[in-house]
Amino acid sequence: MNTVDDFLALLRDELGMPVSTEDLPRGLDEVPGWDSVHLIWLLSALEQRLGRPVSLARILEAPTLAEIYQVALAG
Amino acid sequence: MSSAPTASTTTGPPTGLPAAGPASAADLSAADQLLALHRAGRLAAEYPRLAALLADLTDPELARTGLLLARLDPDQVLAAHPATPILSVALTGHGTLAALPPALAAEFARHGLLLRHRVSEFDSYVFDLADPDSELYAFEPDLTVCLLDPEVVFDEAPLPWRPADLAPVLTAKLDLIERLVATFTATSRATLVLNTLPLPAAYARQLVDHRSRAELGALWRRANARLLDLAAAHPGLVVVDLDPLLAEGLPARDPRLARYTKAHLSNQLLARYARELGHLARHLTGRTRKCLVLDLDDTLWGGTLGEDGPDGIEVADGYRGEAFAAFQRTVKQLAAQGVMTAVVSKNEPEPVRAAFRDHPRMTLREADLLRITANWRPKDQNLAELAADLNIGLDSLVFVDDSPYELGLVRHALPAVATVAVDGEPALHAEKLLRDGWFDVLELTGEDRARVARYREELDRRDFLHAFGSLDDYLRELSVRVEFAALTPEELPRAAQLTLRTNQFHLATERLQPAELAARAARPGALVLGVRASDRFGSNGLVGLVLARRDAGQLVIDNFLLSCRVFSRGIEGACLAALLAHARALGLGAVLGRYRPGAKNAIVRDFYPRYGFTLDPAADALPDAAPDAGRPGLLTFRHDLAELPAFPDHLQLSTDLVGVPR
Repeated sequence: MNTVDDFLALLRDELGMPVSTEDLPRGLDEVPGWDSVHLIWLLSALEQRLGRPVSLARILEAPTLAEIYQVALAG
Repeated sequence: MSSAPTASTTTGPPTGLPAAGPASAADLSAADQLLALHRAGRLAAEYPRLAALLADLTDPELARTGLLLARLDPDQVLAAHPATPILSVALTGHGTLAALPPALAAEFARHGLLLRHRVSEFDSYVFDLADPDSELYAFEPDLTVCLLDPEVVFDEAPLPWRPADLAPVLTAKLDLIERLVATFTATSRATLVLNTLPLPAAYARQLVDHRSRAELGALWRRANARLLDLAAAHPGLVVVDLDPLLAEGLPARDPRLARYTKAHLSNQLLARYARELGHLARHLTGRTRKCLVLDLDDTLWGGTLGEDGPDGIEVADGYRGEAFAAFQRTVKQLAAQGVMTAVVSKNEPEPVRAAFRDHPRMTLREADLLRITANWRPKDQNLAELAADLNIGLDSLVFVDDSPYELGLVRHALPAVATVAVDGEPALHAEKLLRDGWFDVLELTGEDRARVARYREELDRRDFLHAFGSLDDYLRELSVRVEFAALTPEELPRAAQLTLRTNQFHLATERLQPAELAARAARPGALVLGVRASDRFGSNGLVGLVLARRDAGQLVIDNFLLSCRVFSRGIEGACLAALLAHARALGLGAVLGRYRPGAKNAIVRDFYPRYGFTLDPAADALPDAAPDAGRPGLLTFRHDLAELPAFPDHLQLSTDLVGVPR
C-alpha cells in the first residue's frame, strides 16, 4: 500500500465501502456506509498489506479516513 | 442496512482486471470473480452463482467476501431471485458482535441461503431475551444467536481473585441463562443458539499455582457442562460446544480486539462458529444432505481393485491401509445414523461386490451400503439415476472422489451435488468429509437409524414392481396399510423432521420444530394428523402429516406432506378422501386445501384439483395458519362435498376420524 489511492481501493474492495477522495477529510460519521465496526476489519486488512502491526488504539482515535491512513503509514 | 454499493461513482476497475462476464470468468480466480461482481454492483443479481464461487475460496478470502455480502440488501436479492431461501437471524450477546454478520453472510451464501439479520446493541442479551416485548422478539427471527464469552464471568470477578470467587458468579450466570432460555422458548418459535465459554490462557495463567489452575479448570468445565445440558431439556435450544472448534488450532481471542473493541472472541473462532451456524441454517431450511456417494479406488481403499486385485488393495493393514480403514469407520458411523450411503465407481461390478462381501479385512460391508454401482458409465449419469431411484433431489447428494476429473465432471454436469475432493493422503479423508457438516440435524430419531433398511426395502419393492404388468396389480400385491390418526406426542420429533426433510410432496413447505407443531395441534379446532404406512415388506413408520383446522364452518387443510418414499401408492388419495368424508359427517360446508409454492413442490400444485377441488381465489383472504410464512402465490382450492372421491381399494385405511366409512 503506497498511495492514498491504494488505501481507498482497500476500503472499496475489502470493506465494500463506496468511498472516494472527497471522503478522506470527512468526519467518519459523514462517510457513506461507515460503521465503527469496520475498524476491526480495516486494521487486519492494513496489517496484512503492510506486513507489520498497526496501532489499533491510535486508529480508534483517528477522526477521519485521512488520519487513519496517516496512522497506518506511521506504523 | 445499506444498499449494495456501486463502483460507478469511483474509479473503474484497474487495468488488467476485466469486469465479470462469461467470457472472462474462466480466466479469473473465484475471489477475483467475486470482487468483479462486487465492483459491478452485481452480487445481488448473481446471487445463485455465488455458492459455487464461494466453495473455492480460502478462509481469509471468505472472510473478506463476507464483508461485501453483509452489505447486500436481502430484499434486493429477493427481488432478483424470489425463490432464494431466507432465514432471519437475531444476533445478541455480551460483547461486540461486529464480526458475526459478515461471517454469517458468507456461510449462508455458501449454501445458497440468504441472511436477514439484526444485531442488538452492545451487551443487551439479558434485556433482549428476558423481555417478551423486546425488539429482538419483535424482529421475529427464525434463529437467535446469543454469543456468550468469558468476560460474562470475569467482568464480575473481584481483584485479586481466587477460583472460589468465580464459583458463585458462574452459578448466578447459569441460573440467569436458564431463566432467559425459559422465557425465550415460551415467547418465540425460533431456534436459540448458545455457545460454551472458552477459558482464555491469559486468565488461567494469572494463577501461579497448578492446584488453583486445576480448580479453575474444573469449575469452568462444570459451568460449560451445565450449559450443554440445557439443550436436552429444551427442544428449541442448541448449545454449540466451542472446544472442538478451538481444538482445531484457532485462537480463542485477540487481546487487542478484546481490549479496545470489546470483541471478546477472535474473528477466526467466530468465522468457524458461523460455519456451524450455516450448517444449522441449512438444516432449518430443509436443505440437509441425505445421501453420501463414494468412489472406491483411492477413496474408500488404497490402490486400484482392477489392477491390484482384492489382496492388493489397502483396506486395513500397513500405514495407508489403517488410514483407509479409519475413513471406512467414519463412513459406517454416518451410515448408522441414517445417512444413505452408496458407492459409484468405475470398476467391473462383480469384483467390487466380492470385495465388500468376501474381503476379510473390509470395514464397510454391503449391509452398510444402499447401492453399489460399478460400471463404466460417466459418474454424473450414475449419480442422477441414484437420486431418481431414491426419489431424492440431486441437492441431497454429497459426492466424494479423489479424481479431479470426476469431481470436475460432476460439478459441471450436476452443480446441485456437493463435492468433496480427497487426495493422495488418506489420513485426511475423514476431516475433509466431516468439515462441512453436510448431514447435521438438530436431533436424531429412530426413523433416521432405520433409514438405510427402509430405503433398501424400497429398492426391493422396485424389483417386485418389475414383476407386474400394471401398477394396480402391484399395489394390490403390496398390501398397503395406512393408519391416519392424531399425531401422538412421541411422534413430534419425527413429524418435525418430516417438515424439514420433505421438499416435493409438501403443500405449504413449512419447516416446523416439535414445539411449533405441538402449538399448532393445541389450537382450538386444530386437526394435526399423522400418516403411518406399512406393507408386505415392512413398516414405513410415520410418512406423512396433515395440518388442518376447523374455521368458520369449513375444514381448512393448511398443509399436507408425504415422504417421497411412499409416493404414488394411493396413500395421499385415501387420506384426502377420509378428510372429505369426515368433513361431510360433521356437517361442514366445504373443505379448503391450500398450496403455497416452494422451491420444489411444483409437482403437488394440482394435487387438490385431481380430487375434485376447484380454485377459489376468494378464500385466499381467509386467515392463514402460518401468517408469517409470507410467500406469495398462495392458492386456495375448495371442495363443496357434493360428490366425494372414491377410496382406493388396494389399501386398508384405519383412522380415528369420525364419519369415515370402514
